[in-house]
Amino acid sequence: MKRYLETGNFAIAQAAAIAGCRLFAGYPITPATEIAEEMSKIMPEVGGYYMQAEDECGALHMCIGGALGGLKTMTATSGPGYILYADPYGWAIGSEIPLVVVNSGRVGPVSGITGSPGQGEFYNVRYPTQGGNYETIVLAPNSAQEAFELVVEAFYLSERFRTPVTILADQLITDGMEDISIPETEEEMKEMGLRFKEREINYGPEFYPATDEIDIPPVVLGQNTGALCSDWTPTEEGYDTEEMVEAHKHVYRLIYKIRNHKDVFSRHESLFMDDNPDLVVVSYGTPSRVVKAAVKAARKKGMSVGALRLITLWPFPDELFTAKATYLSVEFNYDGQLVREVERAAPSDSKIHFFGRCGELPEISSLLELFQTLLDGNPISAIKWEREAW
Amino acid sequence: MDYLAEKYFRTRKTPSTACSGCGLGQAQKMLTKAMYDLGLELEDVIWGTSIGCAGRQTFGMWKGDGLAGTHGRVYAIVSGLALALPEGKKIVCTVGDGDAFGIGLLHLLNAARRNLDVTIVVCDNLGYQSTGGQYGWSTPEGSVTDSSPYGMYEPNWIQDGRDVLNIIREAGATFLARHVSMDGEFGVKSMEKALLNKGFSLVHVVYPCTTNYASTALGSRNAVNIFRWIQNHSCRLEEEGGKDVIWKTGVYHDASNSRPDFTTLMRDKLEDIKRRLAS
Repeated sequence: MKRYLETGNFAIAQAAAIAGCRLFAGYPITPATEIAEEMSKIMPEVGGYYMQAEDECGALHMCIGGALGGLKTMTATSGPGYILYADPYGWAIGSEIPLVVVNSGRVGPVSGITGSPGQGEFYNVRYPTQGGNYETIVLAPNSAQEAFELVVEAFYLSERFRTPVTILADQLITDGMEDISIPETEEEMKEMGLRFKEREINYGPEFYPATDEIDIPPVVLGQNTGALCSDWTPTEEGYDTEEMVEAHKHVYRLIYKIRNHKDVFSRHESLFMDDNPDLVVVSYGTPSRVVKAAVKAARKKGMSVGALRLITLWPFPDELFTAKATYLSVEFNYDGQLVREVERAAPSDSKIHFFGRCGELPEISSLLELFQTLLDGNPISAIKWEREAW
Repeated sequence: MDYLAEKYFRTRKTPSTACSGCGLGQAQKMLTKAMYDLGLELEDVIWGTSIGCAGRQTFGMWKGDGLAGTHGRVYAIVSGLALALPEGKKIVCTVGDGDAFGIGLLHLLNAARRNLDVTIVVCDNLGYQSTGGQYGWSTPEGSVTDSSPYGMYEPNWIQDGRDVLNIIREAGATFLARHVSMDGEFGVKSMEKALLNKGFSLVHVVYPCTTNYASTALGSRNAVNIFRWIQNHSCRLEEEGGKDVIWKTGVYHDASNSRPDFTTLMRDKLEDIKRRLAS
């Protein structure tokens, strides 16, 4: 094991190389630029390619091209670049192309605040492209070390599910310097729980089988398989079609290959959840670190508080929200995004609250005040989970 | 069946679903004849397309491996694909005028800058015909279309001093030619040169659309009418031509094999870096 005091960006690049990524295409954008910089250094070292694209739309298309040729590929960006992925992302979902996308959140909308953390793309990563009729896999680390582990996992899942997998981080995770351990031997990788899957080749003739099964090799061009790959709805052989019955078969696969195998990738962290606490604090990414500290402090004060930290964001883990309780969603945005899903998933007689902050972390003391207010049965919101005052 | 179709095309997609009288098949035939003449086999070529008439009608015809990119993006896709393919594979793309000269121009120019080893045949039916017939970037000035009912008056990409081929040449393309789809063997020769260039080749082929362009701009769906009209508005590059000439045909730029293609460059650089790191 090699230890570094390094950024999440560094950790992500190391993970990609270890996971077998051999083509990175990107476009500079704060706070993900250093991922591109690290990849430009590390790719040639492992015999891979670094491409600087004309824009993010081109970048993800280049990754698709590389993946279609049989390489493992990755791209990384932040919100304003992520929306330019909308076009290729749909192509990659529809054509079932394995690759990894990293999004390091900053403060939006538009170019917003470039160098501060935000969580404005909670729904964007679920619906990264148009048209609907698909499911997505999104993983959210809350540290540089976990970013390393989840990037490796994302490559693994992308191969098994033949789909792009998104890592949703934020500026503090990618830019922040932390203690990072990078495994060097197979044993150390195993110890860390890392999983790997080599690229396989689909020899057809049914390149797009109408099944929810996973572990079907993806289309690889240049192997004389006669594979076809397009942006249109494919028949099982890959021909373009206008038949609704074919569209139904295709999107059934896109949705249920993921929904029916959630056990393969579902991850979360529970804290003090065993005694059915009255208040459950829900978060993901960097805010979850403050939440954890605040919940621990609250327990010491004797408050009945627990925490759910989501690692798999999508498909949304509805199964974690079966208990009737008071839920508080703590997020890096002012509009409330995660809270909407919590409200949807939790029993209807639960109470749902939202605390949002952008650019900087909430203080532990203010979270403790919030916890007490909610446990006392007082509202922190006037209408549903919207905050009373700004 | 045509010997070229028999050798290269899937029976499921032949004949194509193109409109009656469409000239796309002529452009496609020029390309496949050139492939045949050069002895290219199915395993030598990955055939890429885009959307629109040219993209959709040619997708999946090739018996070998094929792909279709979204609007204007196939140049970026094949930029990544080229790096990943085994040695000796050729990428050929049949795309439309809107795809290459409109929505995809940025990606196209950057592929030219890289000198990506690709042969792009821009099958130009003078506008957006699969969406019903709107003007595009190669629509002749004054043409009445569904989106230019008073005649097309926006500057286009095919006029003197603003020829898109000049822009692509400046971007770094190493082979450029322009033809009309009736050029036959003359066009085939250009296609052969394009395919023999290990680098960025683009052949612009103007072909007739009877359903939309002919009907709206020329007032008749008669295929012979628009075939003649295109012929009457074109001449060889070396000819003087008259004021009616819109398309001059022939090889515009031939710097074939004058600089390394993108994949060769990248692979050489990787070897170079590996040596530097080892020492």
